[in-house]
Amino acid sequence: MFKELDPILHSQLRLAVMSLLISVKEADFTYIREKTNATAGNLSVQVQKLKEAGCIDVLKQFKDNYPQTTCKITPKGIEAFEAYVQALQAYLKV
Amino acid sequence: MPEEKQLTEQESLQLITSMIQKVKGGYHENGTGPILWGTVVSIASFVTYLQREYLFDLPFDIWLIVMAAIIPQIIMVRKERRTRPHVKYEDEAINAVWIVYALTIFGLTAYQNIVPEVSANLLKAEGWQMMKHVLDNSKPDEVLTPFTPSLYSIYILVYAFPTLVTGITKKFTPMLVGSGIAYTCFIISLYTASKYDFLLGAVTAIACWFIPGLILRSRYLAQKRQHV
Repeated sequence: MFKELDPILHSQLRLAVMSLLISVKEADFTYIREKTNATAGNLSVQVQKLKEAGCIDVLKQFKDNYPQTTCKITPKGIEAFEAYVQALQAYLKV
Repeated sequence: MPEEKQLTEQESLQLITSMIQKVKGGYHENGTGPILWGTVVSIASFVTYLQREYLFDLPFDIWLIVMAAIIPQIIMVRKERRTRPHVKYEDEAINAVWIVYALTIFGLTAYQNIVPEVSANLLKAEGWQMMKHVLDNSKPDEVLTPFTPSLYSIYILVYAFPTLVTGITKKFTPMLVGSGIAYTCFIISLYTASKYDFLLGAVTAIACWFIPGLILRSRYLAQKRQHV
């Protein structure tokens, strides 16, 4: 019996964001946008969904008079990502 | 990237792999830190060697340039933190290693400056002192202040440590080579007169930091040009 893939992670952009954040301690919103090739609006919506699900923390602050948004994966996010990868491995038998 | 595209399992796995790869090859440090430290330590070491070889004094302690380099280093670190697009876990570990390295260098400097005087006082309190006696009696005996023989060998050994850790963690070959040269210089310095240890120290600083710093700098500038 296969485990169902987490719907929060099983979407292209959210999975891309989570895969990026699992590899770093924290990342700037602009950096994530650049790496995912997403539009700012689209990314903003998906980041908000991940935040509401408790998968990431979003820190908004000012640096040198410019707004800066930093994203960081939470322990719950790490757990969800690991479970997602395990489920994928079961599907693909790798 | 479309907003809610549903992925197949195979596509998900490919996406995860490609994003992790993007982070791995993403960002080069600008190399100014290693260039700065490589420059000041190699200059201070080389000038100290010249002072010992040709017996002259400068109006100031050349090692003060190393202390002075702390100020631009702090400014550079603060600036880099502001502009850095992401923080990797390995960066934190490497920073911790360099903090321990800095504390070790300060500790060694304190040891070098404090221990001889304290030892002299302890010996005096015990009622004896160290004397220099020339075996063929060509010179009269003279009182010797306790000193730490060939201490710069230990500095060379300490220079190698954070360089090797950084090289291994970042898989950065120039620093791996640099630390290899540092360990070789350390071994050579065990057999040479202490004045030559400073020459070996200068070689170590160039190999461990200055050259890797220049390589980092060129990669950083190349990356910057791509983004313009």
